[in-house]
Amino acid sequence: MTLASVISTPRLRLRRPEPSDLPAYTAYYMGPRSHFVRGPYTEDECFEKFATVLGHWQIRDYGRYTITLDDTAIGHVGPLGIDANKPPELTWTLWDGAHEGNGYATEAAIAMRDHLLGDQGWPLLEILVQPDNKPSVRVAEKLGAQLTDLPAPDWYPGCLTYHLTSESIGEALQ
Amino acid sequence: MTAPILTTDRLILRKPNAQDADAALAFFQSDRSRYVGGPHSLGAAWRSFAGEIGHWDIRGYGMWTVTLKDTGRAIGLVGPWHPADWPEFEIGWLLFDDADQGHGFAAEAARAALDYAFVALNQPTVVSYIAPANSASIALAERLGATLDKDAAQPHPDKPCLVYRHAADDNDGSPEAYA
Repeated sequence: MTLASVISTPRLRLRRPEPSDLPAYTAYYMGPRSHFVRGPYTEDECFEKFATVLGHWQIRDYGRYTITLDDTAIGHVGPLGIDANKPPELTWTLWDGAHEGNGYATEAAIAMRDHLLGDQGWPLLEILVQPDNKPSVRVAEKLGAQLTDLPAPDWYPGCLTYHLTSESIGEALQ
Repeated sequence: MTAPILTTDRLILRKPNAQDADAALAFFQSDRSRYVGGPHSLGAAWRSFAGEIGHWDIRGYGMWTVTLKDTGRAIGLVGPWHPADWPEFEIGWLLFDDADQGHGFAAEAARAALDYAFVALNQPTVVSYIAPANSASIALAERLGATLDKDAAQPHPDKPCLVYRHAADDNDGSPEAYA
């Protein structure tokens, strides 16, 4: 079943990424906040990474959504599936530190969880988080994800691996 | 955006899609990709291919998948490549498999792509960035009428490549351009 093109939450609107998101996306990945995701990157790398985000949708028929707040793009959230033999990874990022601390990442990630595991019936999502990325560890816990002892993949050394299944749906936001 | 489709005598050039993934991923993980930054891991190969598709959405143009008119088989990627820090508009080409080299497919596709770049996209000038050791691509650039431009800006100054500049006059859309 095709994923929703738009997902609305109480405060946010998740929509498919658009080329016009590139400047805000680039500002994040060139900035210091991207150090948890192996950044910062050059402008060229940002272009190619964002091109990958757009192309991902066309190869897999799913991909990451842009999180918008009052029509401003503030981050991305959604499934990433590079290797078809592994469970898709649920990812989330707020591009600007000014938006942190309001529960936006949690709100967006819960909506994604419920759409993928609930509406779409996907069996499992994987979550990879660096242990010192405390805000993201908290989001994973609020989603009801279970910490596993799976080893970190070669490309993301040191990360924790969580598993998220439909059993976690329906848990309270707080 | 509807991506343009180019047709030549033996080839159809269309925007890359999921059907091409297996052939493209095999290429980007193989030694044949050594002149375009490879060989890559599966993850990096997948990202490279997805980036080819996304380039279309950002720029409105990109590299086409070259398919054989007879069978529909995808044999390579040819067309514009212009990421953020590229000094100039480039036309690039690659064939996924050794077996498809030597039939003039890359030249046939590149002529159509150059024609599109000069006429439809109205590019004043077009270059091809080629690794110094890539003799097959150098031969193709020269066959297409491109000339080495030693003064052109480099995409990666720390790792200089050969910059071949294409002549617009040879690609005016007239039938001679395909002769």
